[in-house]
Amino acid sequence: MRALAVPLAGALVRAAVTLGGAALATFALLWHAPGDPALAIALARFDAVVPAEVVERIRAEAGLDAGFWRAFGNWLGPLLRGDLGNSTVTGRPVRPDLLAAVRLTAPLALAGLAVGVALAVPLALLAVRRPGGAIDRGAVALASLGAAVPAYWLGLLLVLLFAVELGWLPAMGARTPQHLVLPALTLGLGVAASLTRILRSGLLEARGAPFLPALVRRGVPRGRIARDHVAPHAAIPVVTVLGLELAFLLEGAVIVEVIFARPGLGRFLVDAIGARDLPKVQAVVLLTAIVFVVVNLAVDAIYRRVDPRIGADA
Amino acid sequence: MRSAAAVALLLAVLAAFGPALAPHDPSAIDIPNRLAPPASVTPNGLMPLGTDALGRCILSRLLAGARWSLGLAFVVSALGLAIGSALGVIAAMGGRAADWTVMRLTDTALAFPELVAAIAIAGVLGPSTESLIFALTVTGWMRYARVARGIGLSVAGRGYVLQARLAGLSPLAIAWWHYGPSLAPSLAVVWTGMFARAILGISALGFLGVGVPPPAPEWGAMLLDARVHMRSSPLQMVWPGLAVVVCVLAINLAGDALRDALARGAHPT
Repeated sequence: MRALAVPLAGALVRAAVTLGGAALATFALLWHAPGDPALAIALARFDAVVPAEVVERIRAEAGLDAGFWRAFGNWLGPLLRGDLGNSTVTGRPVRPDLLAAVRLTAPLALAGLAVGVALAVPLALLAVRRPGGAIDRGAVALASLGAAVPAYWLGLLLVLLFAVELGWLPAMGARTPQHLVLPALTLGLGVAASLTRILRSGLLEARGAPFLPALVRRGVPRGRIARDHVAPHAAIPVVTVLGLELAFLLEGAVIVEVIFARPGLGRFLVDAIGARDLPKVQAVVLLTAIVFVVVNLAVDAIYRRVDPRIGADA
Repeated sequence: MRSAAAVALLLAVLAAFGPALAPHDPSAIDIPNRLAPPASVTPNGLMPLGTDALGRCILSRLLAGARWSLGLAFVVSALGLAIGSALGVIAAMGGRAADWTVMRLTDTALAFPELVAAIAIAGVLGPSTESLIFALTVTGWMRYARVARGIGLSVAGRGYVLQARLAGLSPLAIAWWHYGPSLAPSLAVVWTGMFARAILGISALGFLGVGVPPPAPEWGAMLLDARVHMRSSPLQMVWPGLAVVVCVLAINLAGDALRDALARGAHPT
């Protein structure tokens, strides 16, 4: 038990340091943003012309005159209690709006992942049946192409084909389940490309392992070899990739939501940037960083369960 | 390997001479002949790929845009290479404290999804070429650092490094002459991947309106312009995307070829 607890504690400390650094980096960005933040807040609250003393009062209220580290402290305190502050444009708290956006992005990311897995797993399995064969080469070519196609272009082409030309599916908005199809497909095809590539090389590597001929000669049935020996080996890169795919899903969702006018996290971020609503920008950046760190911790923990070799020397 | 070199040369030529190869002025506006289909002839001459919403020649804009899209990607990936590999070597050479610091810095930078962070940075700093370069460099050095540190740690224990240190060579000279040659092949492979990613990043930011400011004919921004006229002239949307795909695919394949060639060289059979 101790052997498992110590590296896990180390990982937790590293994660905490990482998150602290992430918060600092986010604050530093907002601190250095061009323009006077106090003036921006004042204009957002009262619009029209704001007297100088009002700007100064806001500056004092927000702790903006206290220097970088004091201001960082004033900013971090509420943040640790889960208070993301108020929008500088609407004056409303950021958190409810952010959660509403997450509720639209989460299904999109999951659907994209599902499409990706549903395409990549059969394709990779077919490809490795005959390495170097026609199917294998086709799969590799498709994966290379998929990695080069930007999500925004693929999304626009799908809209052009299925919404504009054929009229089968809605392109804009998020009202019905049908609205999820094209965004999920855009995201999923990108996931499938990288997943196929890594799954294929993982399976090939597992198949080339020296223990396989030994097992075959001992007369172990093929099905059992595949289940008990090849599958766990191929699973290890898949765990890594699923962790990496999350990055792709988050980034992809941002772009895809803009194309399909889906009011999720991506639209939230881009709209906030357009309106220079910095608390909202900061909320999205921090949220994605937290998700990332937590997923990496989880991947680390799963690793230790799946691959006994890692726990031994870590 | 030869095809990879050819691709690299072709892209370099495009980035260098793209604007000169353009048949028309890429920013010459001609409203009466806007959204002309490919191969149409306007008073200004033949428009091989048609014109955009302001009547500008799309082919000329694509060619002129190569300098933005490829040139900036080159700058961003080269800056990332310099910063990342320097940090990686510092981590490998500098002892435990330096290693810990650099690795936590890397973890912190990796905690942000690259594109989300780049969008936020470029967006907050305001649309300019400088903030675009800054945003993509700050989010694009970590992979170099990890690779440089990993290989650097294995080099650190070699006899020739010890000997160089005993001979009184400065750390900078050791880093350059003794770590550099071991790092170069792997970093070159990472660089091709990051170059391709930078092209995708620049066009994504352009598409979201936080990239190179208009009227520069950057490919992502061209796609953003074309999107509005999807129904009336759908082909206009195809070209910039196709340019991105061709470049990224070519660079990725060149990177694969480079990796395979290096792997063969390292383990002669």
